[in-house]
Amino acid sequence: MARTIVPIGPQHPLLKEPIAFQIVVEGEQVTDSTMRMGYVHRGIERLCQERTYIQNLYLLERVCGICSHVHAVTYCRGVESLLGLEVPLRATYLRALLCELERIHSHLLWLGMLARNIGLDTIFMYAWRDREIVLDIMEALSGGRVSHAINTIGGVRQDITPMQREVIWGQLDKLDQQVSRLLRVVEHERSLQARTRGVGHLSLEQVRRYCVVGPIARASGLDVDLRRDEPRPPYDRLNFDVVTHTAGDVWARTLVRMQETLVSVQLCREILRTMPDGPIAVSARRRVPPGEAISRSEAPRGELFYYIRSDGSDRPARVKIRTPTLPSLLSLQIQLKAITIADISVILSGVDLCIACADR
Amino acid sequence: MRAALVQGVKALAYLLPDLLRALVQRPETGQFPFAPPQIPEGYRGRVQAHPERCRGCGLCVRDCPAFALELHRENRDTFRLVYYPARCAFCGQCEISCPFGVLYQTHTFVRGTEDLDRLTVRLVDRSASTTPEES
Amino acid sequence: MSTWFRILIFPGFAFLFIAALAFEWIDRRMIARFQGRIGPPWYQPLADLIKLLAKEDIVPEGTNKFAAAALPILSLTAVLTASLYVPVGGIKGASFEGDLIIVLFLLSLPALAYFLAGWVSSSIYSLLGGHRSLLQYFSYEVPFLMAVACPAILSDSWSITRIVSFQAQTAWHALMQPLAFVLALVGLIGKLKRDPLDIPKAKSEVVAGPLTDYSGRKLALWHLTMTMQTVLGIFLLVNLFFGESRFFNPMPALPIFGLKAAAILVALSTASALYARLRIDQLMDLGWRILAPLALLQMLVTLWIAN
Repeated sequence: MARTIVPIGPQHPLLKEPIAFQIVVEGEQVTDSTMRMGYVHRGIERLCQERTYIQNLYLLERVCGICSHVHAVTYCRGVESLLGLEVPLRATYLRALLCELERIHSHLLWLGMLARNIGLDTIFMYAWRDREIVLDIMEALSGGRVSHAINTIGGVRQDITPMQREVIWGQLDKLDQQVSRLLRVVEHERSLQARTRGVGHLSLEQVRRYCVVGPIARASGLDVDLRRDEPRPPYDRLNFDVVTHTAGDVWARTLVRMQETLVSVQLCREILRTMPDGPIAVSARRRVPPGEAISRSEAPRGELFYYIRSDGSDRPARVKIRTPTLPSLLSLQIQLKAITIADISVILSGVDLCIACADR
Repeated sequence: MRAALVQGVKALAYLLPDLLRALVQRPETGQFPFAPPQIPEGYRGRVQAHPERCRGCGLCVRDCPAFALELHRENRDTFRLVYYPARCAFCGQCEISCPFGVLYQTHTFVRGTEDLDRLTVRLVDRSASTTPEES
Repeated sequence: MSTWFRILIFPGFAFLFIAALAFEWIDRRMIARFQGRIGPPWYQPLADLIKLLAKEDIVPEGTNKFAAAALPILSLTAVLTASLYVPVGGIKGASFEGDLIIVLFLLSLPALAYFLAGWVSSSIYSLLGGHRSLLQYFSYEVPFLMAVACPAILSDSWSITRIVSFQAQTAWHALMQPLAFVLALVGLIGKLKRDPLDIPKAKSEVVAGPLTDYSGRKLALWHLTMTMQTVLGIFLLVNLFFGESRFFNPMPALPIFGLKAAAILVALSTASALYARLRIDQLMDLGWRILAPLALLQMLVTLWIAN
């Protein structure tokens, strides 16, 4: 068959957000690809300059629907360092609890999308059913399933009651059981392995060259995790493993993400158990003294980077966001070569695209 | 022999026990709208007010990220606080910002409507001649 | 029963139509329950069909208009004609020596029409889907035909009715030739383009395959063809492998037939829920490296038993 161009996107059943790929195929073999993004660009960084620091809290939560809390946390941390605030310990624990819950929900969402895109609808339904447990916990804690609005500059807005703590403890046990089962399925289920093994291989050197972060980098052997590498309360007093793998294909990424989910469940338990008492917020001035601040966090997809510059007023002069999906998109350039069309969906699912994050 | 059979089933149909278990369990999906939705305690819904407490300071307007609140002020005793539920992000910042405890969030959703007047709500309507009352 | 009744009502078109809707509902409901959902209500397939019939029918520029209209009619006609020769619970429309071959031929026409629908369409997804459907056809059809020929060889007849009555005297072919049954079931999954072999219409790869650009009435006809083909394929397998049996003699034939068909449908739904979609090269590997040799083996065994 002659050389044709298959458009994947901007609308495609494979993608949950619009992004355009032009894939050059010959028969069933892919030879090249180009990408065009920006379909979900909302100009959030520019909008941040026209709103006060408090208003930006809620705006920046809406950069992404899946990792909304970690965006707010990273932003708050940047502003708090500009203000010179010391956030109370209990607030950091509560923020970390929601960060880990968000990691669990993001990975379960991702597993469902991967399963759906390879035709295994059953795992999609099971993963999203288990994700409902996490969303219910987050709704009980913060009042919203997706947009939590629990951060404020100086801490968190809402505390966790002892009764909620008991309920969440029970739910975490159930979650542990379900996620373990999903991990075993990923490890043993033959048809899933047949589709994902050996597909979308990224070597360690390629990962370094394209600055890929997150589970994709860890699946290729790069041992990097900001929770451990830049220890900040409460992660500096919690024990957890950083999961890595060496295969570097989509199956390795699946394993890494599922094992990370189990680690996150364990972290949630430890956070609940060792949470200190105390205030949940300190009051913050509205006008931020001039300066620059950088804050980084481990979002579910990798390293999230915020740069905030203030000029002394109550509005930021510049907020710059670099989300972890951006280098993943760049790494697709090497992954979408010398594969078959059927592998496109596996690879695009495997890099866990969050285009809203990347486009801002 | 039995172990070999189990191994064979595991290799060929690993998800079979999950499928059978799902058959006998109650389905996870709810029957909305034929069954009522489960709204948890603390769900952040539409904003309401205690109008008698409002002093017209405007802190809520300044902090609202969605510009859903507006204060129309003529003098110290005559002002109107207007709320646009269609713009509201249901974040609850107004409830926190208000020093007098005027605004609070309910559990209700904002339903779609064809009547545009319902999307402009006067939470507080104060003038010099009227006494503070529930609006 | 008059011939017209047999053609138009039972076991002909009207019965096939109702059975298609019922089987689609059972399939969707079973898969939903396997996945922890509730599933659609009983009138959903009928509602979907009526909705499709009422929708606007667009044929994009660049698509051959005549072919786009003729192909669904051709496939539906082929399936309906095949239904004349497949007996339901012993009641048949017509039969003669060799009607099994006619049924198999007619049931492979929709696959050809499916490929052509992709070929004449102007969408790249349709072309890719058509390309894949032809590759898939070559992978499953040979094992399927060989597996379906085994009961015929053992019964020493190419008439479906004779094969059924042969089983009444001996035993079910599924018990005598279990490998042929399994291969026929796998071949049926490929023929019906169900998960895990829905490669030509893989939603995440080629949107909807050859039928991407179809809408409205033409899509309704295609959908009806697919569901009726499911029913006919299952009925064919029931007749060939689970025909009449001495043990069920005093009981009425029709409900027993329905139960057997439902059992095969449940097996197909389970297979849909269990596996991920194969890649086309994996299917070709499976078809030619495993299924075809097994079918050949079964055929040799059958030939040896028959003598």
